[in-house]
Amino acid sequence: MADPFAAPAASRRGGSPPALRVEGLRKSYGDGFVAVAGLDLEIPDGAFFGLLGPNGAGKTTLIGSVCNIVRPTAGTLSVFGHDHRSRQARRLLGLAAQEINVDRFLSIRQILIYHAGYHGIGRRAAARRADELLALFRLDDKADVRAYELSGGMQRRLVLARALMHRPRLLILDEPTAGVDVELRSEIWRVVKGLNAAGTTVLLTTHYLEEAETLCDEIALLRAGRIVDRGSAASLRERYAARDISEVYDRVITAEEVVS
Amino acid sequence: MSGTEAPALPAYDEPFRAERSPFLWLLEREVLRFLTIWRYSVVGPVLSTVLFVVVFGSALGRHVDTIDGVGYGSFIVPGLFAQAIVNVGFFNGTTSLFEARRDQYINDVFASPLRWWEINAALVGGGIARGVVVGAGVLAVALPLTHGGAPARPLVLLLGTLGVLLVAAQVGVIAGGHAKSLDHVYSIESIILLPLGFLGGVFYSVHQLPPFWDVLSHLDPVFWLVQVERIGFLGQGDVGAGWALAVVWALAATLTAWSAVMFGTGRLKP
Repeated sequence: MADPFAAPAASRRGGSPPALRVEGLRKSYGDGFVAVAGLDLEIPDGAFFGLLGPNGAGKTTLIGSVCNIVRPTAGTLSVFGHDHRSRQARRLLGLAAQEINVDRFLSIRQILIYHAGYHGIGRRAAARRADELLALFRLDDKADVRAYELSGGMQRRLVLARALMHRPRLLILDEPTAGVDVELRSEIWRVVKGLNAAGTTVLLTTHYLEEAETLCDEIALLRAGRIVDRGSAASLRERYAARDISEVYDRVITAEEVVS
Repeated sequence: MSGTEAPALPAYDEPFRAERSPFLWLLEREVLRFLTIWRYSVVGPVLSTVLFVVVFGSALGRHVDTIDGVGYGSFIVPGLFAQAIVNVGFFNGTTSLFEARRDQYINDVFASPLRWWEINAALVGGGIARGVVVGAGVLAVALPLTHGGAPARPLVLLLGTLGVLLVAAQVGVIAGGHAKSLDHVYSIESIILLPLGFLGGVFYSVHQLPPFWDVLSHLDPVFWLVQVERIGFLGQGDVGAGWALAVVWALAATLTAWSAVMFGTGRLKP
């Protein structure tokens, strides 16, 4: 059944397929836990889309399913019209995961270069792109060290730089500012906003509700593996007669959790 | 961060084209991984194997009769060569894949355009490459020490060694895919691999054993890996060359199928 909150297929870019289309996604684990329960979602090309929900709501499972890291139990997922498991889809996707999941045998410059390689980029172009991003994220003086020698903030920048190595059209950011200081957070948002302005679709999960409200042109609220509402920050505020998204969140997510 | 960038976005409707094969990148990474830790991954196994040759072959071997007309030192080298390949193949696959799963950087590979069989083949290729490097190191030192000459049956040696390399690398990858902790990895090595190695006829001919143990030895996969190398190097073993090659390649095919199912069905993903 189609999600009543699913956005229309219209794209900002006129004619291009949605950046992400999820239909009937379900993921249950061996112990019976249902992480995602029949989720439908469509994100237009060029959107800055926020996904909000408490821990365990299914955000990371949804992202993992899109990125071919988690095996969905049921449902179909497509990225710019391609099956999410296809090489075309994976070429178009970039993921900055919540965890600092980097290869500890490689230097940070090698981490970037090999990531580009896994996306089919040649050695020279990969090295050039790595140097660009090391400079952009002010990691160039750490190029030859291992990731575990970096501070937490630097590791976070490295994960984001890696996600951008192959110039994805759809950038998925799973809690990209968790545990980073205010200065780095605003730096990260400046880069991500620039990417979105240049055409990159961004799918963001965050626990910083004020950030989602400021950055995202559309927000979906996820609870118990289902999208319970979605819309622009303004339309959600209006619908719930709320002053801000925190209040919307309290009414839609927190209150419902208390009831259930 | 020094400024935002304006990326040239890839077209969404073009087929995937690689400037350089993602498989080659991952294979290169696998080789780079063990070369980065060369003291542990290459020098250690070569040294410990050569010490076996020195202690058992050169020192104790003087007090041991020839076996089937072959000096004891020369007799044990093929088995030690096979065992060295099995050990490094096992540890290469287990540590590489287990650590990639534990630290979750395998997700970066799964999310990329690499196909499941390319990931499988690159991981196995890394184990084979390490087996070749360590095996060559072992022979470079052990053969002069035991006055070993040219292999008696080069074709059996070549086909057999390819099979042994494949078996060892696949065992490592399969164990790395199933292991739930580092303790699990080491217990597989000490409880399964090590006893099979010692009971695999590296240091003796199974015909020297009582009949029951002679027959039982034939159920040990390592026995066949040792035999195929011994026949290749010395021209004789406890079984015929055809049988040894057939069993080794049947093992390699079975393990390759097992490994392929593990990757192809996505069992490494939650």
